[in-house]
Amino acid sequence: MFRLMLTTTLAMLPLAAGAQEITVGAANVTPFLDPGRDHSNVGSQFYYNSFDTLINRDHSKLESKWVPALATSWELIEPTVMELTLREDVIFHNGDPMTADDVVFSLNRMFQATFPPYVVRAKDRLGNFTEAEKVDDYTVRIHAAREEPLWETLISLQQIMIIPEVYTKALTGDPELAEDGDYEAFALAPMGTGPYRVADLQPGEKLVWERFNGFWGEIAPLERATVVQIAETASRVTALKTGEVDIITNVAPDQISLIERDPNLKTEGTATALFHVMIMNQNHPKLQDPRIRQAMSLAIDRDALNEALWLGKAVVPSTHTMEEMGALHQPELTTFEYDPERAKALLEEAGYDGFEITYDTAATYYTNGLLAAQAITEMWSAVGINGRVNVQDQWSGDDPEMMARNWSNPMYFSDPFGSFGVMWAPEGPSESEGRFNTDAEYAEKWERFRFSTDIDARKAAYAELMEEMKADPVVLPLYRPFESWAMKRSVNWAPMPGHIPYVLDFRAGSISLADS
Amino acid sequence: MIPYLARVLVKAVVTLFAIMTVTFIATRFSGNPIDTFLGEGLTTEGRQALIDYFQLDQSLWQQYLAFLRGALSGEFGLSFVDRRPVTEVVAERLWPSAQLLLASIGLTIAISLPLGVLAAVYRKSWIGSAVMVVAFAGYAVPAFVLAIGMILIFSYWLDWLPVVGSSTALHFIMPTIAMSGVLVAALTRFTRNAMLDVLGQDFIRTARAKGLGEMRVVLRHGLGNAAITVISVIGLQIAGLAAAGSVVIESIFSWPGIGQLLVNAAIIRDYPVLQFGVIAVAFAVVAINALTDIAYALADPRIRLGQN
Repeated sequence: MFRLMLTTTLAMLPLAAGAQEITVGAANVTPFLDPGRDHSNVGSQFYYNSFDTLINRDHSKLESKWVPALATSWELIEPTVMELTLREDVIFHNGDPMTADDVVFSLNRMFQATFPPYVVRAKDRLGNFTEAEKVDDYTVRIHAAREEPLWETLISLQQIMIIPEVYTKALTGDPELAEDGDYEAFALAPMGTGPYRVADLQPGEKLVWERFNGFWGEIAPLERATVVQIAETASRVTALKTGEVDIITNVAPDQISLIERDPNLKTEGTATALFHVMIMNQNHPKLQDPRIRQAMSLAIDRDALNEALWLGKAVVPSTHTMEEMGALHQPELTTFEYDPERAKALLEEAGYDGFEITYDTAATYYTNGLLAAQAITEMWSAVGINGRVNVQDQWSGDDPEMMARNWSNPMYFSDPFGSFGVMWAPEGPSESEGRFNTDAEYAEKWERFRFSTDIDARKAAYAELMEEMKADPVVLPLYRPFESWAMKRSVNWAPMPGHIPYVLDFRAGSISLADS
Repeated sequence: MIPYLARVLVKAVVTLFAIMTVTFIATRFSGNPIDTFLGEGLTTEGRQALIDYFQLDQSLWQQYLAFLRGALSGEFGLSFVDRRPVTEVVAERLWPSAQLLLASIGLTIAISLPLGVLAAVYRKSWIGSAVMVVAFAGYAVPAFVLAIGMILIFSYWLDWLPVVGSSTALHFIMPTIAMSGVLVAALTRFTRNAMLDVLGQDFIRTARAKGLGEMRVVLRHGLGNAAITVISVIGLQIAGLAAAGSVVIESIFSWPGIGQLLVNAAIIRDYPVLQFGVIAVAFAVVAINALTDIAYALADPRIRLGQN
């Protein structure tokens, strides 16, 4: 009983002290922290507070503005070689100074990956980089295979945030070698250079950040931030209301008005930089005629889906593009439309005989995924397509029998390459699963889009790719789902437009607490 | 007594083996873990590399044999996601679940036995009827409805009780009540019926005829004999609660216990955690049942003496 009372008292201390502390109630807490191998929506919430990249971007802005981070300056010394000068006063959370060795180690663990989880993450986005090389203690060079139009964008990826070499290698086995076991151990004992150190990580359950006073930049505004998993929506909202937590994540659209009615609470939301999409199998024997797939796409009234499922707060795109993509944002392209009359005509032309078209979805994986599937098959039926929702938990994207299903195309970084470019690359995930074909012509357009150093050339090539998608469709971006956070009025926090989705950014300038 | 104990133990071991096999098969049929925890956009080669890395490429039969070999030597493997031994992952969740279970059992016994006895003794008065109405109502309300209802009233509206976690005594109140609800209702009814049965027996009349006080008749001779039924019911109900009850309640209250762990592991298909978690729960259920059998034998001489 005494211990119980003691814990009770201890648990209440932080409240009494009125320190700069917050508790976040999250639908999911990450089971591990390794920026290199992770690109999940759950994980991306957590990296930015504890880790740094060499180059950072000003996240308060939608357009890309690059700012120094662990590198103070950078320049191309050859078309394929970038030289970066490192900041000299950086220390890791364990007190070790950061040098070129750590940077080269962190980069090469991805550029020349041998640990399979790194291999798969590096391949799709960092494939153009061959190696990082130390020039002196505070200068490194990065070598690319081909001229790279996206240097800063790719150098600021979460996957190549900087981790300590000596510490990581010593975690298991031989302290001189980087073994798979070291990377696995690192994921439970993460260490970076960011403004908060991970003081406690209980996988899937709880994460505690503490202010790191040795941080090289502006000191963190919070003494301590705790993220606890509260899986149940009702419990999450209640915990916010009772004051047990200060911020909650993943607030469903229908909860927003309930929360806003409470004078002490508010919500902040944004259309996530991620598309929920419908994919169609180009190689299914019954769907090989592109007119059938065009009809499947044209029959879907995405604005109606948005109104019904997202209260109109989601964003429906005209093509596979997002405003976060800056100069490469091309809303003027109209690749995807709603035209039921044309859908009917195409079906007739193609001689559609009423065969059943299945639409696969998991029961709960995507928010509103099942409801959207049901609505879509109803819309199909309005133009004469005999659709059926097939609820199954297995991923069917690599199944030759798959006809259509839901999927998502996240924006891994703010460029069309970070979304469409990864998912629909020649030999990328879609083609390798056998539901999408590319030919030499497509590959040539994709290469021009990916590697042209001239922005207009890239835009033109992307427009050509979108024309291919229109003529022989395999994907329909449905909408960017609307994601909300709710918090006490005393918390000044909102998702920043320059981040990838879901980042909980508690750095200086991103969050403050009023004294109420 | 020894042959009886041996029979109980053999039964327990066979049950555990069957559960391990069924768990293994059921988890494999639920889909591929690679789909869930590595995010989207894997190429076929990338997927294959990870399947090899996580050793998911062996045939089911090989995996099963490896699993059994590991189980016999106490090695249940590493979690796919956080790469810790699953024994460690599950172990840190056991105590919070056990705390909640013990609190619920304590609360249930503290409420049900007196209520059941009261309902039996005053079966013809309004007291007996009132107890039974409450018991039936409690039996009809599912635990999650009770839990959400309490959250709405005591947290959302009144702001008296916390909803998240297990850190203080206050945190125990709602989950304990929600866990106990159905159990209290069931046990009260069983206690009442067992007491009614016993109180109508000849030896109770004899006890009264000897001039014993009513209190002593009811508690010593009545409840003492009704205990056999009551113990077996408690055993069964606790086993059921340990197996399934905690999953829902722990999820609702973010209780860092094994139920919540199992839900998460099932969603992301972390087979090793799921397998060992289910086995740990099954072991608890089997152990509780075995203990119940033994307690039953201790309470009833006919069982421990009459088996041969």
